[in-house]
Amino acid sequence: MTKNENCILEVKNVSKIFDVGTEQEKGVLHDVSLELERSEFLCVLGPSGCGKTTLLRCIAGFEDYEGSVLVNGAERRKPGTDRIMVFQDFNQLFPWKTVEKNIQYPLKIQGIRDKAELKRRTEEALAMVKLSGQEKYYPYQLSGGMKQRVAIAKALALKPKIILMDEPFAALDAMTRNELQSELLRISMEEKCTVIFITHNIQEAIVLGTRIIVLAEGGKIVVDEKNAIPRPVTPASEGYGATWERLHRALYQ
Amino acid sequence: MDEKKRQAQALAARVVFVIVVLCIWEYVAKSGLMGEKSELIFPSLESIGSAFIRNFVEGYAGISLWAYIGNSMRLLLEGLLIGILLAFLLSGLSMISRVFYDICNLVISVFDLLPGVALLPVVIIIFGVKPGVIVFLVVHAVLWPMARNVLDGFLAVPRIYIEGGMNIGLNNLSLLFGVYLPAATSYIVSGLKVGWARAWRGLISAEMIFGVASCPGIGLFINQMRTNMNNAEMYATLVVIIIIGLIVQYGVLSPIEKCTVKKWGMSR
Repeated sequence: MTKNENCILEVKNVSKIFDVGTEQEKGVLHDVSLELERSEFLCVLGPSGCGKTTLLRCIAGFEDYEGSVLVNGAERRKPGTDRIMVFQDFNQLFPWKTVEKNIQYPLKIQGIRDKAELKRRTEEALAMVKLSGQEKYYPYQLSGGMKQRVAIAKALALKPKIILMDEPFAALDAMTRNELQSELLRISMEEKCTVIFITHNIQEAIVLGTRIIVLAEGGKIVVDEKNAIPRPVTPASEGYGATWERLHRALYQ
Repeated sequence: MDEKKRQAQALAARVVFVIVVLCIWEYVAKSGLMGEKSELIFPSLESIGSAFIRNFVEGYAGISLWAYIGNSMRLLLEGLLIGILLAFLLSGLSMISRVFYDICNLVISVFDLLPGVALLPVVIIIFGVKPGVIVFLVVHAVLWPMARNVLDGFLAVPRIYIEGGMNIGLNNLSLLFGVYLPAATSYIVSGLKVGWARAWRGLISAEMIFGVASCPGIGLFINQMRTNMNNAEMYATLVVIIIIGLIVQYGVLSPIEKCTVKKWGMSR
């Protein structure tokens, strides 16, 4: 099937046009192709309106599109638990469920009924995002940063093949954002999860990504490179400045 | 602490208000301000009080007011239950089929405007004079506002919950129960409030217009009191109607709100 057996996700010639046949017809993605390897942390950079989010939503199965998306060689058109989305919006948790139930509900839908198993996975996931002991809170009682942590914990507990993140930290203050970046970095290194992370923050892409791509208008991939800077990356790391310059130029060309 | 103080203040204000109103009432009743009809228009509080007790002890035609209340509540509950279920059914189906939605919208708009009592003659021609007619009117009173609210609630569910639900493997029916229903709870509760109030009024009007001898209700009772000029009893029955309304508001609807939307931070 695929040449590369390490390949977990294939995006093949995906095109997306909004409002087909109307005056507002707008092509957002043109013939985008992409391969993602297991345990890769792919950061997608791009200017506003370049189609980053649309690409992610196509992969997640929330949009109709032309072309195909394959997970482990099998075509995916509809949303599924193998690709879990973490949104930018703080209000992605169900407000009628506690933190604990928000994490357990998807597991129950997957057929996990055993109470002890549910509890163990919840505790494990919450420990990973440093929210142990906050099980009984309702989302409205949490801060924005905590809600995003729960959303990440919810995704981790499901053990999806790929986690899709659409600027999950974009609406956070700088301090919380840095904190959550390093948490996510630690988790991704420990858990070896495969992530596609959308951002328009160059620093974030360099700190988190093992691979960085830059999209231009129409979803054209103008940069696709491995991030060679040894982790954990700080602005003082060797090569940081040059990488930042290169990405910045690609972004604002 | 502040919240407690505010609640105590609100309670005190209400109690004082009620006492003042009662005092004015009693003054008008005792002073004969309204001329010789004073006693009829404003029976004194004592006579209303004793009529209140008499309603329950002696009742009318040898039947205690309890029995009338029981009959009314039975028909009301039956109608409410059918109405609410139908409302969910209509709005649920509307979410699944676009054509159904369009038709449903029209039907709701049309029937919501029709007062139940205006339908009464037609309904009686079709069904005859039976308790079923009252149930029908209660269903009519509760169904349309409830369906409208539930439907509006479903349409107002944020897309992110729906996508989140689809992402974790929900579809169609499980999405309806797992996401749409809980997310629309505040709309559903407000639909219940409107529906209940309409049903309660509709029930009493229908019973006042025609009493079903086999199932006499509270509306019939109040109408008999009117016919016989038992004005104190009439007022006492109004008090009963208000008390039942308050019990439902504070004993049923408020607790539902408290353990859903308020608990979830979806309403203050």
